[in-house]
Amino acid sequence: MDRNQLIKWIKAPGKMGHKYSLHVVYFCTGCGIIEIPPSITARWDAERFGVKPVATPRQANLFLVTGYVSLKTLKAIIRTYEQMPEPKFTVGFGSCPINGGMYWDSYNTIKHLDKYIPIDGWIAGCMPRPEAVFVAVTHLWTLIDNDMADGYKKYRKNYKYYRANQEKLYGKLEWPPQFPINDEGGPLSKSINKNGQL
Amino acid sequence: MSLQLLLIIAFGSSLVTYILGKLSQRLRDIFAVIASWALVVMVAVFYGKQVENTSYLKFLDMNLILRMDTLSWLFAITITVVGALSIIFALSYIKMKERTDFFYLMMLLVNASMLGIVLSGDLASFYIFWEIMSWSAFLLISYNRGPALAAGMKYIVMSILGSVAMLVAVLSLYGRFGTLVISELAPAMTSASSGYILFLLLLFFTSFGVKNAVLPFHTWLPDAHSEAPSPFSAVLSGILIKMGTYGFFIVIYAIVGLKIFLGLGQGILSFHYILSIVGAITIIIPSFIAVLQNDAKRLLAWSTVGQAGYIILGIAYGTSLSVTSGLFHFVNHAAFKALLFMVVGAVEYRTGGVRDLNSLGGLIKKMPVTFIGAIVGVCGLIGVPLTNGFVSKWLIYKTLILEGSPLLAFAALIGTWGTILYSYKLIHNIFLGQLPVEYKEIKDAPISMQVPMVIFSLVIVTFGVLPGVPLRIINNIISSLGFEPLNVSLWGIVSETGALNTINISVAVIIAGIIAWLIYRAGKSAVRVSQDDNYAAGAYVPVDKYSYTVDFYNPLYRIVSPFLKDYIDIFYVKLTGWTRKFCGKVRLVYTGDVGNYVMYIMSFIALLIFIQLTWSVWK
Amino acid sequence: MNIAWTVFLPIIAFLIGIFFLGLSRKIMARIQWRYGPPITQPIIDIIRAFSQRSVSHGILFNLGIALSVAGSVAVVLFLPFGKVCPLSSSGGLLVILYLMLLSPLGFALSGGEAANPNISIGISRKFILALGYEVPMLLILLSLMTYHKTISIVKIVEAQQNTGWSIVTLPLVLSGIAYLLILPAILGVRPFEIAGASQEISSGPMAEYGGQYLAIADVEHALSLFIGIALFVNLFLGGAGDIFAPVENFLASSGLSCMVTFLEGLVFFVKMLAVFVICVFINAVYPRLRIEQAIGYLWRWPTIFAFAGLVIVLIVGR
Repeated sequence: MDRNQLIKWIKAPGKMGHKYSLHVVYFCTGCGIIEIPPSITARWDAERFGVKPVATPRQANLFLVTGYVSLKTLKAIIRTYEQMPEPKFTVGFGSCPINGGMYWDSYNTIKHLDKYIPIDGWIAGCMPRPEAVFVAVTHLWTLIDNDMADGYKKYRKNYKYYRANQEKLYGKLEWPPQFPINDEGGPLSKSINKNGQL
Repeated sequence: MSLQLLLIIAFGSSLVTYILGKLSQRLRDIFAVIASWALVVMVAVFYGKQVENTSYLKFLDMNLILRMDTLSWLFAITITVVGALSIIFALSYIKMKERTDFFYLMMLLVNASMLGIVLSGDLASFYIFWEIMSWSAFLLISYNRGPALAAGMKYIVMSILGSVAMLVAVLSLYGRFGTLVISELAPAMTSASSGYILFLLLLFFTSFGVKNAVLPFHTWLPDAHSEAPSPFSAVLSGILIKMGTYGFFIVIYAIVGLKIFLGLGQGILSFHYILSIVGAITIIIPSFIAVLQNDAKRLLAWSTVGQAGYIILGIAYGTSLSVTSGLFHFVNHAAFKALLFMVVGAVEYRTGGVRDLNSLGGLIKKMPVTFIGAIVGVCGLIGVPLTNGFVSKWLIYKTLILEGSPLLAFAALIGTWGTILYSYKLIHNIFLGQLPVEYKEIKDAPISMQVPMVIFSLVIVTFGVLPGVPLRIINNIISSLGFEPLNVSLWGIVSETGALNTINISVAVIIAGIIAWLIYRAGKSAVRVSQDDNYAAGAYVPVDKYSYTVDFYNPLYRIVSPFLKDYIDIFYVKLTGWTRKFCGKVRLVYTGDVGNYVMYIMSFIALLIFIQLTWSVWK
Repeated sequence: MNIAWTVFLPIIAFLIGIFFLGLSRKIMARIQWRYGPPITQPIIDIIRAFSQRSVSHGILFNLGIALSVAGSVAVVLFLPFGKVCPLSSSGGLLVILYLMLLSPLGFALSGGEAANPNISIGISRKFILALGYEVPMLLILLSLMTYHKTISIVKIVEAQQNTGWSIVTLPLVLSGIAYLLILPAILGVRPFEIAGASQEISSGPMAEYGGQYLAIADVEHALSLFIGIALFVNLFLGGAGDIFAPVENFLASSGLSCMVTFLEGLVFFVKMLAVFVICVFINAVYPRLRIEQAIGYLWRWPTIFAFAGLVIVLIVGR
């Protein structure tokens, strides 16, 4: 861990802050949530990495999707993801978000979560052990360091397609689009430039 | 400029307004506003002048006289300013009622009679103006009809009992000393025995206590204030109650005198100490009853009872700081209570008469100026530093602590915490929270309602940051009454046992606020979202159901409410029940049928004849 | 000199508060047999929160939180830190009591605008809890003010230099014990962590705070922790002035009088640390009470002790 290197803090405080203070939305998605409490408690202490569960998505910056995603749960996942402040990171935990996992032929589950919200990293397994949470966290650190953890920027840039996918599933959605969608399909928000940076 | 002219204009303008109202409404409105502000200007001209004893009428061999000194001036200016601003507020409010000419007549008549009370120099004119004020207040309280009639009846019965007590006291004074002039009574009182003075004080306590809503006599106030129309509720809570305070002042300090008053009784059992304890109980219990109310005006009415307790505590305690605090709190309370009643009145006006706290919410988005008025009024009521309420409360706390009555100080401090609780409930349930769908289109209060609210807010903040301005006037009053004057500077009190310096506090809070604002701006600017984009555990926010207003202090309610039933009110209602039963029994004899009375007379004469014939008692 | 202290004191207060927050997490972790985050973790959290762009619900949402921090910073200027007290002669203990209610009021206004019932429930519970601990706390403060016959906190601190700490002065022992019993309620640590309960009401008033609002709320939490403990140390543990007289004379004679101020601050910090560690131990052991249970506890034994203390002071002091 390069948490003690003061030079890095002075150069990029935002990045270092995001790395060492990953607060997780305590959203119990599927059966994988059973592996999260052991990682928070005394045996595999996650707090020494700076990882802590928080009460509301407004206070969080990491979203762990821990298991299969049914149609109903996806609505809540999208709402929760949109309520998190940016920059935010998502990690798909378990095989089900990757390609449907054990429920690959079910009528009710989402097979590719990546179509509906952007995912920064995947952890395979059914269920992965608690140590895999730490593998995910350290891998996310590397991604943040190299500016590759830009799922939220992709969401903002391509919101038209994400929203279209969501509406194909549900018909009309009750909440309005989070970012304004223009018809040409170009950059959607005025505050974002051609390279998709804020 | 003489005092008679002031009173003639005051009473005459009410009559002229009524007549003008029959001709044209606009003319009446303009005339009412001009007349009330003319009174303000005329009273302001009297600043610093002492006008003694101008006789204006001879009545039953007595001279009825008027006089003006600094105490009268302070009360007169408060009465005229609050009255004038209420008239401006009423211009829009009263449009939704009928018989508006009668309303203006009565409002101006109440103001005129209150002015008469504070200008009267002898107890006979005091009594006459007191009665005019009570009756016109009764007519205004029952203006709305419906439940207001019962409220008005409760008020007038208790007020008449008080007036009768005052009449007995006035008559006994006249019989004993032969004069009712206040300045002549004061030296004559030194020759009276303490038993007689105690008797007088108890009678006057009854009558002024009813008007000032001290604890055993407060039960008329919640009904009356909530059922009266809002501009009159502002006047009622702000200044009409304080006529009782003025009465206490005149009787205790002008007539009886400071030394005699403090010397009545021995040790703990002295009159002024017991009156302080009554004031302290009046602070605690109504402040907590107000926490449990669901009607906005009833909450404010109970709050008035509590704040009146502060004033009584200040006046009864008898040190120069406490009397200063009592007088200053009178001025402050007029400002913020009138402001809060106007806020609730504006909300009532725009929502079509709704004042139920459980069904409002979120109005800050539609009525921002009203909200600013509400928050300044509430901060003054609580006594946040930088408002005038803080200064008057600081003074009373300091004197209670340093003079060795910490239990009374505890009562005063706990009253403040009750105030914090119900003030936040008022603000939250009306202005914060989710905006219901039916109020999505309402507009802010009209300009004629916003102007008085803004003026009162400015007064609250100015007197809070520069309290020396009114404190100097009050200092003159108390040194003329025999207290030791305080060392007053523009921004507070200087003394070696703890000074108050509001400029330091203001500067500290403002600089801290600027630092906090700069820290806030250092972050990225936030995205503005609507109230529907809220954390609801992943679900969509349910419309009209995502608000916590009902039973706002439910855990406290469950613990505290068994102790806070209004036992005194229940007792009075039972008393009227017993009286009715007793009178029902009496009606069995006094049937109202003339034949019965003839029978009684005949049988009594027959009895007398029988006695004479049998025993020959009379020659 | 005073202007410099007016700038330094809030910074020192913030640093001490943040250190206490981090220390509490570390101590809790060690009690639970795990390693725990580094002590600088709250600073990392604040930096991260500042770099996020969150949502706002209106102007009052922004102003309320600025008011809350302003209230806390203003109170810090009124508390003596050693012999340093920038605003000592402007109203004393009563002003501190009143300014202390600006920060819950700021949270209440800003949270009310957010239209979330979790926030409203949190705020109503916060006010009810404040009423709960204010009843014994007012009795304790009144007995202190009556015993020392002053309303100025600087004079109370100075009086303790001469007569010893208030907590061992005989008429005030019961008041001291009562204050220790209500101190967790004032600081908001378990068992009285009712207003900011993360599991029951989604962290109460902080439910809609993200980004810089969360950072400012953390700053305010650190400052209010400092204020709560500093008030207790000033009133009952003698403030910071009692360094040994020979040490003080030695330093004064050798011209290092600024070292005296530093040493006083250090003594003050050590006392605060002792009190805070005791509160963290209580926090580690107890679960969260319900608000009715909290009121029932606060209005029973601490109030009885505080009232008895006041009666004793009234009898003895006459």
